[in-house]
Amino acid sequence: MVKRIMQINNKFIKENEGGIIGIILILFLIGMTFYALFLIPTQLRLHWNDPLYWSNNPRDAAPSWINYFLKLFNYQLPEHKIFYQKDALRNYINYIEFKQQNNTFSYKFNFNEFPSAIDIPYTIIVGKIPPVIDIYIKRPDNLEFEIYSNSLDSNNIKPITNGNDTNNNTLNHNILSSNTVSGRIYSSSQEVKNALNNYSNLFKFSIANLSPEKIIFSETNSNKPLTGKYEIIFSIYSFDSNTILKDLNIIIQGKVFGLLGTDELRRDVFFGILIGTPVDLFIGVTVAISSTFIGLFYGLIAGYKERKIGTFMLLIIDIFLTLPSLILLIIISLHFGRNLLFLIGLFILFGWPGLALLNRTFSIQIKNYQYVQASKLMGESDLKIVLRHIVPQLLPFTLANFALAVPAAILGESALSFLGLGDPSFPTWGQMLQDAHTSSAETLGYWWWIVSPGFMISITSVTFILLGRSSEKFFKMDKKR
Amino acid sequence: MKVFFFFLLKKIIILFIVLLITLFITIFLLSSTFDQIMKDSIRTQVIESISSAISKNSNIHQFKNSDERQKFIDQQIKLQSQSFGLDEPWYSPKKIFNNVLKIITLDLGKSRFATTFNGSSSVNDLILEKMPYTILLFTSSSITIIIISLFFGAYLASKEGKIMDKFISGLASISQGVPTWWFSMIMIVFFSFYLRVLPSGSTPLIPPNGSGYTADLLYHMTLPFITLVIIGFAPSVYYVKYIISRILNEDFIKTLKIMGIPQKSILYKHALKNAGPQLTTMFGLGLAGTLGGSVLVEQVFDWPGMGNLFYNAIFQSDSPLIIGLVYFFALIYLLTRLILDVCFTYFDPRIRSEES
Repeated sequence: MVKRIMQINNKFIKENEGGIIGIILILFLIGMTFYALFLIPTQLRLHWNDPLYWSNNPRDAAPSWINYFLKLFNYQLPEHKIFYQKDALRNYINYIEFKQQNNTFSYKFNFNEFPSAIDIPYTIIVGKIPPVIDIYIKRPDNLEFEIYSNSLDSNNIKPITNGNDTNNNTLNHNILSSNTVSGRIYSSSQEVKNALNNYSNLFKFSIANLSPEKIIFSETNSNKPLTGKYEIIFSIYSFDSNTILKDLNIIIQGKVFGLLGTDELRRDVFFGILIGTPVDLFIGVTVAISSTFIGLFYGLIAGYKERKIGTFMLLIIDIFLTLPSLILLIIISLHFGRNLLFLIGLFILFGWPGLALLNRTFSIQIKNYQYVQASKLMGESDLKIVLRHIVPQLLPFTLANFALAVPAAILGESALSFLGLGDPSFPTWGQMLQDAHTSSAETLGYWWWIVSPGFMISITSVTFILLGRSSEKFFKMDKKR
Repeated sequence: MKVFFFFLLKKIIILFIVLLITLFITIFLLSSTFDQIMKDSIRTQVIESISSAISKNSNIHQFKNSDERQKFIDQQIKLQSQSFGLDEPWYSPKKIFNNVLKIITLDLGKSRFATTFNGSSSVNDLILEKMPYTILLFTSSSITIIIISLFFGAYLASKEGKIMDKFISGLASISQGVPTWWFSMIMIVFFSFYLRVLPSGSTPLIPPNGSGYTADLLYHMTLPFITLVIIGFAPSVYYVKYIISRILNEDFIKTLKIMGIPQKSILYKHALKNAGPQLTTMFGLGLAGTLGGSVLVEQVFDWPGMGNLFYNAIFQSDSPLIIGLVYFFALIYLLTRLILDVCFTYFDPRIRSEES
């Protein structure tokens, strides 16, 4: 007995390689869905379209694992590095008229390309007199560049209201007239460029048209990255005792980041893929369930009913099947806006007729079986016959149809999203691809931004196609036995 | 023959109903802009007719001043608008009839933004200029796919269960799940960013009347063409194999084998011939399908066809162009279906008898 089951199992596995792969893939997708739904807080998901939230990430960075491959060629892309205030070496120098506070960050740079930028966000509590900020960079070749020197712009100073930031309240008790200034120094700003122009005589090439990070990290002989230990010194010259550095980061924008890189708006592509999974699966499964259900019952009734009603129902199926669905979908969603549920409704509207036609054919066949005819003669009601005798016969077949209807919905949704007609409050893979296309990622070679969402779309579709095909095969085998 | 005629008539009626439904939806959704188009065209007509009347017979229509002329023009416009039912709501039968009549007689108005190479902004001219490009790309790739799949599919049918057969059926599953437009983006990254052998944008750089235009066009067509063939050939081969292997199991083939007719001759002569009707339908449906899906692929490759025109029309909300293109797309799609249905019923009489 056991041997026989084993034999059947072996045969099943051999003939259903596709199905096995399908099951593994669907488990993987379900896992991703659960992770995205339960381990990512909703609050975080809403940040997808908020550019401020992503401002500490690098722009257009490749996945970080490509450095492992580049190691084979002795080539490394700069990694993303964020220094926090606690990483700094601090020292204070007191002069008679002012106080100097140095925050020194040491940065080991050993990559073969320049980083893409340096950002320095800071928050300073300012007393009566605005302090002066100075940023120096000490290079491995002992050159020292002053890249920024400015007094805090008094226009930026905003007084803190009590309700604004609760953490500050304790501090504010002692300091009567205090303001906080939050700012961000970009290496691409004109001030930094001007400051670096003073050092043009140190370089043996023209630095006029180079962006600052390509000067700061460059060798003096040729424009190549200079590896070694850098020191970034952020100094504050304060003229009263109330000036306090509250927060400081040094962000060296890398060219590799995270598992799947980042996009033009600095968003983490992996995060987008994750939060897109439940949405895409929801669209696919909802549309497939609804349209198989409608298709099943519509087809059954159309096949079961005689003459006029049946013909009329078939006519409606014919009309729906002939409609140019993609074009109508575009026109309708263009007019009625981008609501996820509305889109799902549209897909159901165009999804059921094909299934209805298939089910109709089967229904006609089963209707003529003797036992159905017999129960009809016994006076059973039409509804009972359909539910009791025809539906159970069609269930396995319907299951296969359901699996094959999922990819159609997912591919349709991604196509509409790619045309910019998706629901922006629910990021999907198609919308990510649309973003990539509108920022012409293909011609700029940002493959990670294109490959991953499309790969997920394909994987999901292929999963359901494999499941559908093998369940068809399985039920055929079942029948034979 | 009578049955066939009735069947044909029924199909034509269904297709006509579908065309009307599509047009109604489009007109309903874009009705306010559609009214504006009509009003504009009436205005230009009135002004043109008055100025031509004045130039022909300078004594009759002389206005004392521009105010009087304006008044006359306004009055004429109002009269004509009323005659077309433009002052009535969208559901008035008169207006709907007029709108549909206008579209069906190809009076599609002028595009707001797009112009042809010659500078004409008439929707008809625009569509006529772009249509050959779409047909060129999609028919050439479809024909290539058909040729590949006929030979390869027939070959695979004789080798059922081998590794190659399994590989193709797996590849068919995958290519059905992969969005063509995404694959196009990947191809652009690979061929024009990394290898730098083919251009990423497919609009030819040489103007249509310049020398060397054809060569440039073909050069720019290479990447979309390759992409469409790669993504399309596996499912096609798989289906051809499926159809032919079913025919190979039929009795007459077995008889031919016993008669000692060589395997090759059986495969390519008898089996393929018998698969004719089914194959025709399949390829025809495929062709109709690619024309509908062309919007995204043309947009990704920036191919100067109708799909790209449609995409741009949507984003500039160029309603006259949208309506015109929807009409054309629907027309092409429905005509293909009609031809297919006719072919299918002509080849396979079983369908007719079942339907009637």
